Amino acid sequence: MHSREKYVKWVLMAPALLILIGTTLYPFLYSFITSFRFWRLTRSPVPKGFVGLDNYIRAFTDAGFWNSVWVTIFFTIVSVVLSMLIGLAIALILERATKLNTFMKSLLIFPFAMAPALKGFSWRFMLNPDYGILDAILDFCLPFMSDVVWLGEPYWAVFWLAMTEIWGWAPYIALVFIGALGALPKETQNAAKVDGANTFQVFWYITLPQLMPIIIMVGLLKTIFSVKMFDQVVTLTGGGPGRATETLNYYVYNQGFKFYDMGYASALAYILVTTMFIFAFVYVRFLMKGEQK
Amino acid sequence: MAAITRDEKFWEGMRRLGFAATFLFMVFPIFWMVLTSFKVARDAYSTKIFFAPTLHNFISIFQDPYNFGPLLLNSLIVSFATVAIAIPAATCAAYAFSRYQFQGKNALMVAVLSSQFVPPVVVVLPFFILFKNLHLLDTRLALVILNLSFVLPFAVWMVKGFIDALPSDIEAAAVVDGCNRFQVLRHITLPLIMPGVVTSAVFGFIQSWNEFLFALILTNQKAVTLTVGLMGLHTDKGILWEHMAAASMLIMVPIFAISLTIREYFIEGLTMGAVK
Repeated sequence: MHSREKYVKWVLMAPALLILIGTTLYPFLYSFITSFRFWRLTRSPVPKGFVGLDNYIRAFTDAGFWNSVWVTIFFTIVSVVLSMLIGLAIALILERATKLNTFMKSLLIFPFAMAPALKGFSWRFMLNPDYGILDAILDFCLPFMSDVVWLGEPYWAVFWLAMTEIWGWAPYIALVFIGALGALPKETQNAAKVDGANTFQVFWYITLPQLMPIIIMVGLLKTIFSVKMFDQVVTLTGGGPGRATETLNYYVYNQGFKFYDMGYASALAYILVTTMFIFAFVYVRFLMKGEQK
Repeated sequence: MAAITRDEKFWEGMRRLGFAATFLFMVFPIFWMVLTSFKVARDAYSTKIFFAPTLHNFISIFQDPYNFGPLLLNSLIVSFATVAIAIPAATCAAYAFSRYQFQGKNALMVAVLSSQFVPPVVVVLPFFILFKNLHLLDTRLALVILNLSFVLPFAVWMVKGFIDALPSDIEAAAVVDGCNRFQVLRHITLPLIMPGVVTSAVFGFIQSWNEFLFALILTNQKAVTLTVGLMGLHTDKGILWEHMAAASMLIMVPIFAISLTIREYFIEGLTMGAVK
Protein backbone atom coordinates (compact mmCIF):
# COMPACT_ATOMS: atom_id res chain seq x y z
CA MET A 1 0.00 0.00 0.00
CA HIS A 2 1.22 3.48 -0.83
CA SER A 3 2.06 5.70 2.08
CA ARG A 4 -0.31 8.37 0.76
CA GLU A 5 -3.12 5.85 0.72
CA LYS A 6 -2.75 5.64 4.50
CA TYR A 7 -3.87 9.22 4.98
CA VAL A 8 -6.76 9.09 2.56
CA LYS A 9 -9.16 7.58 5.06
CA TRP A 10 -8.35 10.25 7.64
CA VAL A 11 -8.88 12.99 5.09
CA LEU A 12 -12.22 11.43 4.23
CA MET A 13 -13.28 11.16 7.85
CA ALA A 14 -11.93 14.52 9.01
CA PRO A 15 -14.90 16.79 8.21
CA ALA A 16 -17.45 14.50 9.84
CA LEU A 17 -15.31 13.82 12.89
CA LEU A 18 -14.49 17.49 13.41
CA ILE A 19 -18.16 18.45 13.21
CA LEU A 20 -19.06 15.73 15.69
CA ILE A 21 -16.32 16.73 18.09
CA GLY A 22 -17.63 20.30 17.96
CA THR A 23 -21.33 19.56 18.19
CA THR A 24 -21.37 16.56 20.51
CA LEU A 25 -18.13 15.96 22.36
CA TYR A 26 -17.64 19.60 23.28
CA PRO A 27 -21.08 20.12 24.86
CA PHE A 28 -20.86 16.68 26.39
CA LEU A 29 -17.68 17.55 28.30
CA TYR A 30 -18.76 21.12 29.02
CA SER A 31 -22.00 19.93 30.65
CA PHE A 32 -20.02 17.44 32.69
CA ILE A 33 -17.80 20.16 34.14
CA THR A 34 -20.76 22.51 34.65
CA SER A 35 -22.56 19.81 36.62
CA PHE A 36 -20.03 20.29 39.43
CA ARG A 37 -20.49 24.06 39.56
CA PHE A 38 -22.85 26.54 41.12
CA TRP A 39 -24.11 28.63 38.26
CA ARG A 40 -27.34 30.56 37.93
CA LEU A 41 -27.42 32.56 34.72
CA THR A 42 -29.78 35.07 36.34
CA ARG A 43 -27.13 36.00 38.87
CA SER A 44 -23.94 35.71 36.87
CA PRO A 45 -23.03 35.34 33.19
CA VAL A 46 -19.91 33.34 34.08
CA PRO A 47 -19.75 30.17 36.15
CA LYS A 48 -19.15 30.44 39.90
CA GLY A 49 -17.01 28.08 41.93
CA PHE A 50 -17.00 24.32 41.99
CA VAL A 51 -19.34 22.75 44.51
CA GLY A 52 -18.31 19.13 44.21
CA LEU A 53 -21.21 16.74 44.12
CA ASP A 54 -23.73 19.22 45.56
CA ASN A 55 -25.84 19.38 42.41
CA TYR A 56 -26.09 15.60 42.26
CA ILE A 57 -26.90 15.31 45.96
CA ARG A 58 -29.56 17.97 45.56
CA ALA A 59 -31.23 15.87 42.86
CA PHE A 60 -31.70 12.95 45.21
CA THR A 61 -33.61 15.04 47.73
CA ASP A 62 -35.62 16.91 45.10
CA ALA A 63 -39.23 15.71 44.92
CA GLY A 64 -39.58 17.23 41.43
CA PHE A 65 -36.68 15.13 40.21
CA TRP A 66 -38.10 11.89 41.63
CA ASN A 67 -41.47 12.71 40.14
CA SER A 68 -39.85 13.14 36.73
CA VAL A 69 -38.03 9.82 37.12
CA TRP A 70 -41.30 7.97 37.77
CA VAL A 71 -43.09 9.78 34.97
CA THR A 72 -40.27 8.84 32.58
CA ILE A 73 -40.32 5.19 33.66
CA PHE A 74 -44.11 4.96 33.39
CA PHE A 75 -44.13 6.71 30.02
CA THR A 76 -41.28 4.58 28.67
CA ILE A 77 -42.85 1.28 29.69
CA VAL A 78 -46.25 2.14 28.20
CA SER A 79 -44.85 3.55 24.97
CA VAL A 80 -42.28 0.78 24.41
CA VAL A 81 -44.62 -2.12 25.16
CA LEU A 82 -47.57 -0.78 23.18
CA SER A 83 -45.59 0.42 20.18
CA MET A 84 -43.86 -2.97 19.95
CA LEU A 85 -47.13 -4.92 20.24
CA ILE A 86 -48.99 -2.71 17.78
CA GLY A 87 -45.99 -2.62 15.46
CA LEU A 88 -45.77 -6.41 15.45
CA ALA A 89 -49.51 -6.74 14.88
CA ILE A 90 -49.37 -4.36 11.91
CA ALA A 91 -46.40 -6.28 10.51
CA LEU A 92 -48.31 -9.58 10.69
CA ILE A 93 -51.33 -7.96 9.03
CA LEU A 94 -49.27 -6.51 6.16
CA GLU A 95 -46.77 -9.36 5.89
CA ARG A 96 -47.87 -10.63 2.46
CA ALA A 97 -46.84 -8.51 -0.50
CA THR A 98 -50.20 -7.61 -2.02
CA LYS A 99 -51.03 -4.36 -3.78
CA LEU A 100 -53.22 -3.18 -0.92
CA ASN A 101 -50.49 -3.92 1.61
CA THR A 102 -47.91 -2.00 -0.41
CA PHE A 103 -50.25 0.98 -0.47
CA MET A 104 -50.68 0.70 3.30
CA LYS A 105 -46.92 0.51 3.82
CA SER A 106 -46.60 3.88 2.10
CA LEU A 107 -49.24 5.29 4.43
CA LEU A 108 -47.21 4.04 7.38
CA ILE A 109 -44.51 6.57 6.52
CA PHE A 110 -46.82 9.48 7.33
CA PRO A 111 -47.18 9.21 11.11
CA PHE A 112 -43.49 8.48 11.37
CA ALA A 113 -42.46 11.47 9.26
CA MET A 114 -44.77 13.88 11.05
CA ALA A 115 -43.09 16.46 13.30
CA PRO A 116 -43.34 15.26 16.94
CA ALA A 117 -44.39 18.75 18.03
CA LEU A 118 -47.32 18.43 15.64
CA LYS A 119 -48.27 15.02 17.00
CA GLY A 120 -48.74 16.63 20.39
CA PHE A 121 -50.97 19.41 19.07
CA SER A 122 -52.98 17.08 16.87
CA TRP A 123 -53.82 14.70 19.73
CA ARG A 124 -54.47 17.60 22.09
CA PHE A 125 -57.06 18.86 19.62
CA MET A 126 -58.72 15.46 19.30
CA LEU A 127 -58.83 14.95 23.07
CA ASN A 128 -60.41 18.28 23.97
CA PRO A 129 -63.44 17.58 26.19
CA ASP A 130 -65.63 20.19 24.46
CA TYR A 131 -64.96 19.73 20.75
CA GLY A 132 -62.40 16.91 20.43
CA ILE A 133 -63.41 14.22 17.98
CA LEU A 134 -61.58 11.43 19.79
CA ASP A 135 -63.12 12.51 23.07
CA ALA A 136 -66.56 12.36 21.42
CA ILE A 137 -65.87 8.89 20.00
CA LEU A 138 -64.60 7.59 23.33
CA ASP A 139 -67.60 9.07 25.16
CA PHE A 140 -69.85 7.25 22.73
CA CYS A 141 -68.03 3.91 23.04
CA LEU A 142 -67.35 4.12 26.77
CA PRO A 143 -70.28 6.07 28.21
CA PHE A 144 -69.23 5.29 31.79
CA MET A 145 -66.04 7.29 31.16
CA SER A 146 -67.69 10.30 29.54
CA ASP A 147 -66.80 12.53 32.49
CA VAL A 148 -63.08 11.88 32.15
CA VAL A 149 -61.11 14.90 30.98
CA TRP A 150 -58.39 12.87 29.26
CA LEU A 151 -55.53 15.33 29.64
CA GLY A 152 -56.72 16.46 33.07
CA GLU A 153 -56.18 13.15 34.86
CA PRO A 154 -52.54 12.42 35.75
CA TYR A 155 -52.38 8.79 34.58
CA TRP A 156 -54.46 9.30 31.49
CA ALA A 157 -52.32 12.30 30.54
CA VAL A 158 -49.20 10.10 30.60
CA PHE A 159 -51.06 7.43 28.67
CA TRP A 160 -52.04 9.84 25.89
CA LEU A 161 -48.55 11.28 25.86
CA ALA A 162 -47.37 7.73 25.24
CA MET A 163 -50.09 7.35 22.60
CA THR A 164 -48.71 10.23 20.50
CA GLU A 165 -45.36 8.45 20.63
CA ILE A 166 -46.88 5.06 19.80
CA TRP A 167 -48.79 6.53 16.88
CA GLY A 168 -45.53 7.73 15.32
CA TRP A 169 -43.35 4.74 16.19
CA ALA A 170 -45.59 1.70 15.73
CA PRO A 171 -45.58 2.15 11.94
CA TYR A 172 -41.79 2.40 11.88
CA ILE A 173 -41.48 -0.72 14.02
CA ALA A 174 -43.98 -2.46 11.74
CA LEU A 175 -41.81 -1.67 8.71
CA VAL A 176 -38.75 -3.11 10.45
CA PHE A 177 -40.66 -6.26 11.39
CA ILE A 178 -42.09 -6.69 7.88
CA GLY A 179 -38.53 -6.66 6.55
CA ALA A 180 -37.49 -9.18 9.19
CA LEU A 181 -40.48 -11.47 8.57
CA GLY A 182 -39.71 -11.55 4.87
CA ALA A 183 -36.16 -12.68 5.57
CA LEU A 184 -37.16 -15.63 7.78
CA PRO A 185 -36.76 -19.14 6.32
CA LYS A 186 -40.20 -20.51 5.41
CA GLU A 187 -39.26 -24.22 5.68
CA THR A 188 -39.69 -24.53 9.45
CA GLN A 189 -43.06 -22.81 9.33
CA ASN A 190 -44.28 -25.08 6.56
CA ALA A 191 -42.94 -28.18 8.28
CA ALA A 192 -44.79 -27.23 11.46
CA LYS A 193 -48.01 -26.72 9.49
CA VAL A 194 -47.63 -30.13 7.87
CA ASP A 195 -47.22 -31.60 11.36
CA GLY A 196 -50.61 -30.13 12.27
CA ALA A 197 -49.70 -26.91 14.11
CA ASN A 198 -52.36 -24.20 13.87
CA THR A 199 -51.67 -20.62 12.84
CA PHE A 200 -51.23 -19.38 16.38
CA GLN A 201 -48.89 -22.23 17.32
CA VAL A 202 -46.72 -21.60 14.27
CA PHE A 203 -46.45 -17.95 15.24
CA TRP A 204 -45.83 -18.58 18.94
CA TYR A 205 -43.38 -21.47 18.72
CA ILE A 206 -41.62 -20.81 15.39
CA THR A 207 -41.90 -17.23 14.13
CA LEU A 208 -41.67 -15.39 17.44
CA PRO A 209 -38.45 -17.09 18.65
CA GLN A 210 -36.89 -16.46 15.22
CA LEU A 211 -37.79 -12.78 15.48
CA MET A 212 -36.47 -12.44 19.03
CA PRO A 213 -33.07 -10.87 18.21
CA ILE A 214 -34.77 -8.14 16.19
CA ILE A 215 -37.46 -7.64 18.83
CA ILE A 216 -34.72 -7.02 21.41
CA MET A 217 -32.89 -4.58 19.12
CA VAL A 218 -36.01 -2.60 18.30
CA GLY A 219 -37.05 -2.64 21.96
CA LEU A 220 -33.73 -1.14 23.02
CA LEU A 221 -33.83 1.48 20.28
CA LYS A 222 -37.39 2.44 21.19
CA THR A 223 -36.46 2.66 24.87
CA ILE A 224 -33.66 5.10 24.06
CA PHE A 225 -35.95 7.25 21.96
CA SER A 226 -38.73 7.15 24.56
CA VAL A 227 -36.38 8.46 27.23
CA LYS A 228 -35.32 11.18 24.77
CA MET A 229 -38.90 12.21 23.94
CA PHE A 230 -39.47 15.91 24.56
CA ASP A 231 -41.53 17.78 21.97
CA GLN A 232 -44.93 16.30 22.80
CA VAL A 233 -44.63 17.17 26.49
CA VAL A 234 -44.53 20.83 25.47
CA THR A 235 -47.25 20.65 22.83
CA LEU A 236 -49.65 18.08 24.34
CA THR A 237 -49.66 18.75 28.06
CA GLY A 238 -47.02 21.35 28.97
CA GLY A 239 -46.00 19.02 31.78
CA GLY A 240 -49.42 19.05 33.42
CA PRO A 241 -51.83 18.44 34.96
CA GLY A 242 -49.69 19.57 37.89
CA ARG A 243 -46.45 17.73 37.32
CA ALA A 244 -48.02 14.55 35.99
CA THR A 245 -46.25 14.56 32.62
CA GLU A 246 -42.96 16.20 33.55
CA THR A 247 -40.48 13.73 32.12
CA LEU A 248 -36.83 13.89 33.15
CA ASN A 249 -35.99 15.56 29.85
CA TYR A 250 -38.62 18.21 30.42
CA TYR A 251 -37.49 18.72 34.01
CA VAL A 252 -33.93 19.38 32.84
CA TYR A 253 -35.29 21.85 30.30
CA ASN A 254 -37.27 23.64 33.01
CA GLN A 255 -34.30 23.88 35.37
CA GLY A 256 -32.05 25.12 32.59
CA PHE A 257 -34.26 27.46 30.61
CA LYS A 258 -36.98 28.55 33.01
CA PHE A 259 -34.90 28.90 36.18
CA TYR A 260 -31.55 29.26 34.39
CA ASP A 261 -29.88 27.02 36.95
CA MET A 262 -27.12 25.74 34.66
CA GLY A 263 -25.22 23.75 37.28
CA TYR A 264 -28.22 21.82 38.50
CA ALA A 265 -29.62 21.32 35.00
CA SER A 266 -26.27 19.91 33.86
CA ALA A 267 -26.17 17.48 36.77
CA LEU A 268 -29.71 16.32 35.98
CA ALA A 269 -28.79 16.03 32.33
CA TYR A 270 -25.90 13.81 33.28
CA ILE A 271 -28.14 11.52 35.28
CA LEU A 272 -30.22 11.26 32.11
CA VAL A 273 -27.14 10.61 29.98
CA THR A 274 -25.94 7.84 32.27
CA THR A 275 -29.29 6.05 32.09
CA MET A 276 -29.46 6.38 28.33
CA PHE A 277 -25.95 5.11 27.86
CA ILE A 278 -26.70 1.92 29.72
CA PHE A 279 -29.37 1.14 27.12
CA ALA A 280 -27.22 2.50 24.30
CA PHE A 281 -24.31 0.31 25.40
CA VAL A 282 -26.38 -2.86 25.22
CA TYR A 283 -27.86 -1.76 21.89
CA VAL A 284 -24.48 -1.00 20.36
CA ARG A 285 -23.11 -4.36 21.54
CA PHE A 286 -25.93 -6.10 19.68
CA LEU A 287 -25.50 -3.98 16.58
CA MET A 288 -21.73 -4.41 16.37
CA LYS A 289 -22.13 -8.16 16.66
CA GLY A 290 -24.17 -7.98 13.47
CA GLU A 291 -21.51 -5.70 11.95
CA GLN A 292 -18.73 -8.24 12.33
CA LYS A 293 -20.66 -11.07 10.68
CA MET B 1 -53.91 -28.13 -2.26
CA ALA B 2 -55.14 -28.47 1.28
CA ALA B 3 -58.64 -27.27 2.03
CA ILE B 4 -58.88 -23.96 3.84
CA THR B 5 -59.32 -24.79 7.48
CA ARG B 6 -61.51 -22.97 9.97
CA ASP B 7 -58.35 -21.82 11.69
CA GLU B 8 -57.06 -20.15 8.54
CA LYS B 9 -60.45 -18.58 7.84
CA PHE B 10 -60.51 -17.09 11.35
CA TRP B 11 -57.09 -15.51 11.03
CA GLU B 12 -57.88 -14.20 7.55
CA GLY B 13 -60.88 -12.44 9.06
CA MET B 14 -58.75 -11.06 11.88
CA ARG B 15 -56.27 -9.81 9.34
CA ARG B 16 -58.96 -7.87 7.48
CA LEU B 17 -60.29 -6.40 10.68
CA GLY B 18 -56.76 -5.46 11.69
CA PHE B 19 -56.15 -3.87 8.31
CA ALA B 20 -59.17 -1.62 8.74
CA ALA B 21 -58.17 -0.75 12.31
CA THR B 22 -54.60 0.06 11.25
CA PHE B 23 -55.85 2.27 8.46
CA LEU B 24 -58.11 4.21 10.81
CA PHE B 25 -55.45 4.52 13.51
CA MET B 26 -52.76 5.76 11.11
CA VAL B 27 -54.81 8.06 8.94
CA PHE B 28 -57.45 9.55 11.19
CA PRO B 29 -55.32 12.03 13.21
CA ILE B 30 -53.89 13.38 9.95
CA PHE B 31 -57.25 13.40 8.20
CA TRP B 32 -58.78 15.37 11.04
CA MET B 33 -56.07 18.03 10.88
CA VAL B 34 -56.54 18.32 7.12
CA LEU B 35 -60.29 18.66 7.51
CA THR B 36 -59.96 21.28 10.23
CA SER B 37 -57.62 23.37 8.13
CA PHE B 38 -60.50 24.04 5.70
CA LYS B 39 -62.99 24.98 8.41
CA VAL B 40 -63.99 28.44 9.56
CA ALA B 41 -63.32 29.04 13.26
CA ARG B 42 -66.87 28.23 14.31
CA ASP B 43 -66.78 24.82 12.60
CA ALA B 44 -63.26 24.05 13.81
CA TYR B 45 -64.51 24.04 17.38
CA SER B 46 -66.99 21.28 16.62
CA THR B 47 -66.94 17.67 15.44
CA LYS B 48 -68.72 18.44 12.15
CA ILE B 49 -67.70 16.37 9.14
CA PHE B 50 -69.83 18.31 6.63
CA PHE B 51 -69.23 22.03 6.46
CA ALA B 52 -68.67 24.86 3.99
CA PRO B 53 -64.93 24.69 3.23
CA THR B 54 -62.77 27.79 3.15
CA LEU B 55 -59.19 28.63 2.22
CA HIS B 56 -59.19 31.57 4.59
CA ASN B 57 -56.91 29.90 7.17
CA PHE B 58 -54.12 29.36 4.64
CA ILE B 59 -54.17 33.02 3.72
CA SER B 60 -54.54 34.26 7.24
CA ILE B 61 -51.48 32.43 8.63
CA PHE B 62 -49.30 34.41 6.22
CA GLN B 63 -50.75 37.72 7.38
CA ASP B 64 -50.43 39.75 10.56
CA PRO B 65 -50.15 38.82 13.37
CA TYR B 66 -49.11 35.24 12.49
CA ASN B 67 -46.71 35.85 9.58
CA PHE B 68 -45.66 32.30 8.79
CA GLY B 69 -43.83 33.45 5.64
CA PRO B 70 -40.47 34.23 7.29
CA LEU B 71 -40.84 31.11 9.42
CA LEU B 72 -41.23 28.99 6.32
CA LEU B 73 -38.12 30.62 4.88
CA ASN B 74 -36.18 29.94 8.10
CA SER B 75 -37.20 26.28 8.10
CA LEU B 76 -36.20 25.91 4.45
CA ILE B 77 -32.82 27.62 4.84
CA VAL B 78 -31.90 25.80 8.05
CA SER B 79 -32.90 22.39 6.69
CA PHE B 80 -31.18 22.83 3.32
CA ALA B 81 -28.01 24.18 4.91
CA THR B 82 -27.88 21.32 7.41
CA VAL B 83 -28.24 18.73 4.67
CA ALA B 84 -25.76 20.51 2.38
CA ILE B 85 -23.08 20.25 5.07
CA ALA B 86 -24.00 16.92 6.62
CA ILE B 87 -24.42 14.72 3.55
CA PRO B 88 -21.06 15.29 1.79
CA ALA B 89 -19.23 14.96 5.12
CA ALA B 90 -21.19 11.84 6.02
CA THR B 91 -20.68 10.22 2.63
CA CYS B 92 -16.89 10.63 2.80
CA ALA B 93 -16.76 9.30 6.34
CA ALA B 94 -19.09 6.42 5.50
CA TYR B 95 -16.86 5.46 2.59
CA ALA B 96 -13.79 5.37 4.84
CA PHE B 97 -15.64 3.31 7.46
CA SER B 98 -16.92 0.89 4.89
CA ARG B 99 -13.79 0.36 2.78
CA TYR B 100 -10.84 0.64 5.18
CA GLN B 101 -9.73 -1.55 8.02
CA PHE B 102 -7.75 0.26 10.68
CA GLN B 103 -6.94 0.35 14.35
CA GLY B 104 -9.69 1.89 16.42
CA LYS B 105 -12.27 1.75 13.64
CA ASN B 106 -14.92 0.01 15.70
CA ALA B 107 -14.44 2.39 18.61
CA LEU B 108 -14.79 5.34 16.26
CA MET B 109 -17.93 3.92 14.67
CA VAL B 110 -19.47 3.30 18.07
CA ALA B 111 -18.63 6.88 19.03
CA VAL B 112 -20.41 8.17 15.92
CA LEU B 113 -23.40 5.95 16.63
CA SER B 114 -23.56 6.88 20.30
CA SER B 115 -23.54 10.58 19.58
CA GLN B 116 -27.11 10.05 18.37
CA PHE B 117 -28.07 8.90 21.84
CA VAL B 118 -26.88 12.01 23.65
CA PRO B 119 -30.10 13.72 24.78
CA PRO B 120 -30.56 17.01 22.87
CA VAL B 121 -31.05 18.89 26.12
CA VAL B 122 -27.44 18.04 27.10
CA VAL B 123 -26.17 19.43 23.82
CA VAL B 124 -28.19 22.60 24.01
CA LEU B 125 -27.19 23.67 27.55
CA PRO B 126 -23.56 24.56 26.74
CA PHE B 127 -24.42 25.88 23.30
CA PHE B 128 -27.01 28.23 24.72
CA ILE B 129 -24.28 29.86 26.83
CA LEU B 130 -21.76 29.81 23.99
CA PHE B 131 -24.17 31.32 21.47
CA LYS B 132 -25.22 33.91 24.02
CA ASN B 133 -21.60 35.02 24.43
CA LEU B 134 -21.00 35.00 20.67
CA HIS B 135 -24.30 36.83 20.03
CA LEU B 136 -25.49 33.96 17.88
CA LEU B 137 -28.76 33.39 19.72
CA ASP B 138 -31.76 33.68 17.42
CA THR B 139 -29.75 33.04 14.24
CA ARG B 140 -30.16 30.34 11.62
CA LEU B 141 -26.47 29.51 11.88
CA ALA B 142 -26.95 28.41 15.48
CA LEU B 143 -29.72 26.04 14.43
CA VAL B 144 -27.68 24.58 11.57
CA ILE B 145 -24.76 23.88 13.91
CA LEU B 146 -26.95 22.05 16.40
CA ASN B 147 -28.95 20.18 13.79
CA LEU B 148 -25.70 18.72 12.51
CA SER B 149 -25.29 17.01 15.89
CA PHE B 150 -28.06 14.55 15.07
CA VAL B 151 -28.32 14.62 11.27
CA LEU B 152 -24.66 13.83 10.66
CA PRO B 153 -24.21 10.65 12.75
CA PHE B 154 -27.44 9.22 11.42
CA ALA B 155 -26.38 9.93 7.83
CA VAL B 156 -22.95 8.34 8.34
CA TRP B 157 -24.54 5.07 9.41
CA MET B 158 -27.18 5.13 6.74
CA VAL B 159 -24.81 5.83 3.83
CA LYS B 160 -22.40 3.25 5.22
CA GLY B 161 -25.17 0.66 4.98
CA PHE B 162 -25.61 1.42 1.29
CA ILE B 163 -21.85 1.29 0.60
CA ASP B 164 -21.53 -1.99 2.52
CA ALA B 165 -24.15 -3.50 0.23
CA LEU B 166 -22.04 -2.61 -2.83
CA PRO B 167 -19.40 -5.16 -3.91
CA SER B 168 -15.91 -3.64 -3.80
CA ASP B 169 -14.63 -5.47 -6.92
CA ILE B 170 -15.51 -2.64 -9.29
CA GLU B 171 -13.56 -0.20 -7.17
CA ALA B 172 -10.58 -2.53 -7.01
CA ALA B 173 -10.53 -2.69 -10.81
CA ALA B 174 -10.56 1.08 -11.04
CA VAL B 175 -7.66 1.33 -8.60
CA VAL B 176 -5.66 -1.09 -10.74
CA ASP B 177 -6.42 1.13 -13.73
CA GLY B 178 -4.67 3.98 -11.92
CA CYS B 179 -7.52 5.90 -10.34
CA ASN B 180 -6.84 7.30 -6.91
CA ARG B 181 -9.28 6.82 -4.06
CA PHE B 182 -10.98 10.18 -4.49
CA GLN B 183 -11.55 9.53 -8.18
CA VAL B 184 -12.96 6.11 -7.35
CA LEU B 185 -15.34 7.58 -4.81
CA ARG B 186 -16.38 10.39 -7.12
CA HIS B 187 -16.78 8.51 -10.40
CA ILE B 188 -17.51 4.89 -9.44
CA THR B 189 -18.96 4.59 -5.95
CA LEU B 190 -20.97 7.78 -5.71
CA PRO B 191 -23.14 7.21 -8.79
CA LEU B 192 -23.89 3.68 -7.58
CA ILE B 193 -24.92 4.72 -4.08
CA MET B 194 -26.79 7.82 -5.22
CA PRO B 195 -30.18 6.42 -4.12
CA GLY B 196 -28.74 5.89 -0.65
CA VAL B 197 -27.23 9.37 -0.53
CA VAL B 198 -30.50 10.95 -1.66
CA THR B 199 -32.43 8.93 0.90
CA SER B 200 -30.10 10.07 3.66
CA ALA B 201 -30.43 13.65 2.46
CA VAL B 202 -34.22 13.41 2.57
CA PHE B 203 -33.99 11.93 6.02
CA GLY B 204 -31.71 14.66 7.25
CA PHE B 205 -34.02 17.23 5.74
CA ILE B 206 -37.05 15.77 7.52
CA GLN B 207 -35.22 15.61 10.83
CA SER B 208 -34.12 19.25 10.58
CA TRP B 209 -37.51 20.37 9.34
CA ASN B 210 -39.27 18.67 12.27
CA GLU B 211 -36.74 19.78 14.88
CA PHE B 212 -38.36 21.57 17.81
CA LEU B 213 -36.30 21.62 21.03
CA PHE B 214 -33.25 23.49 19.70
CA ALA B 215 -35.35 26.05 17.88
CA LEU B 216 -37.57 26.52 20.94
CA ILE B 217 -34.59 27.33 23.14
CA LEU B 218 -32.30 29.18 20.74
CA THR B 219 -34.72 31.36 18.77
CA ASN B 220 -37.35 33.87 19.74
CA GLN B 221 -37.99 36.16 16.79
CA LYS B 222 -35.74 36.36 13.74
CA ALA B 223 -34.83 32.69 13.30
CA VAL B 224 -38.03 31.02 14.52
CA THR B 225 -38.90 27.94 12.46
CA LEU B 226 -42.30 26.53 11.54
CA THR B 227 -42.54 23.99 14.36
CA VAL B 228 -41.84 26.61 17.00
CA GLY B 229 -44.12 29.02 15.18
CA LEU B 230 -47.01 26.75 16.18
CA MET B 231 -46.45 27.86 19.75
CA GLY B 232 -47.42 31.36 18.66
CA LEU B 233 -50.94 30.11 17.90
CA HIS B 234 -51.28 29.19 21.55
CA THR B 235 -52.66 32.53 22.71
CA ASP B 236 -54.22 33.60 25.99
CA LYS B 237 -57.59 33.08 24.30
CA GLY B 238 -56.64 29.42 23.89
CA ILE B 239 -55.29 27.61 20.86
CA LEU B 240 -56.51 28.89 17.50
CA TRP B 241 -57.17 25.44 16.06
CA GLU B 242 -58.22 26.43 12.57
CA HIS B 243 -54.94 28.31 12.13
CA MET B 244 -53.02 25.55 13.88
CA ALA B 245 -54.42 23.05 11.38
CA ALA B 246 -53.48 25.22 8.41
CA ALA B 247 -49.97 25.73 9.76
CA SER B 248 -49.73 21.97 10.34
CA MET B 249 -50.48 21.40 6.67
CA LEU B 250 -47.63 23.74 5.84
CA ILE B 251 -45.33 21.52 7.90
CA MET B 252 -46.73 18.12 6.92
CA VAL B 253 -47.41 18.36 3.21
CA PRO B 254 -43.83 19.01 1.95
CA ILE B 255 -42.50 16.20 4.14
CA PHE B 256 -45.17 13.75 3.02
CA ALA B 257 -44.58 14.68 -0.60
CA ILE B 258 -40.83 14.07 -0.55
CA SER B 259 -41.09 10.88 1.46
CA LEU B 260 -43.61 9.49 -1.03
CA THR B 261 -41.44 10.25 -4.05
CA ILE B 262 -38.61 8.14 -2.70
CA ARG B 263 -40.94 5.67 -0.98
CA GLU B 264 -39.12 2.42 -1.69
CA TYR B 265 -35.66 3.62 -0.77
CA PHE B 266 -37.18 5.37 2.20
CA ILE B 267 -38.49 2.15 3.72
CA GLU B 268 -35.25 0.34 2.90
CA GLY B 269 -33.10 3.06 4.42
CA LEU B 270 -35.32 3.38 7.46
CA THR B 271 -35.22 -0.23 8.40
CA MET B 272 -31.58 -0.80 7.50
CA GLY B 273 -29.89 1.51 9.99
CA ALA B 274 -31.67 0.18 13.01
CA VAL B 275 -31.17 -3.56 12.96
CA LYS B 276 -29.13 -4.89 10.09
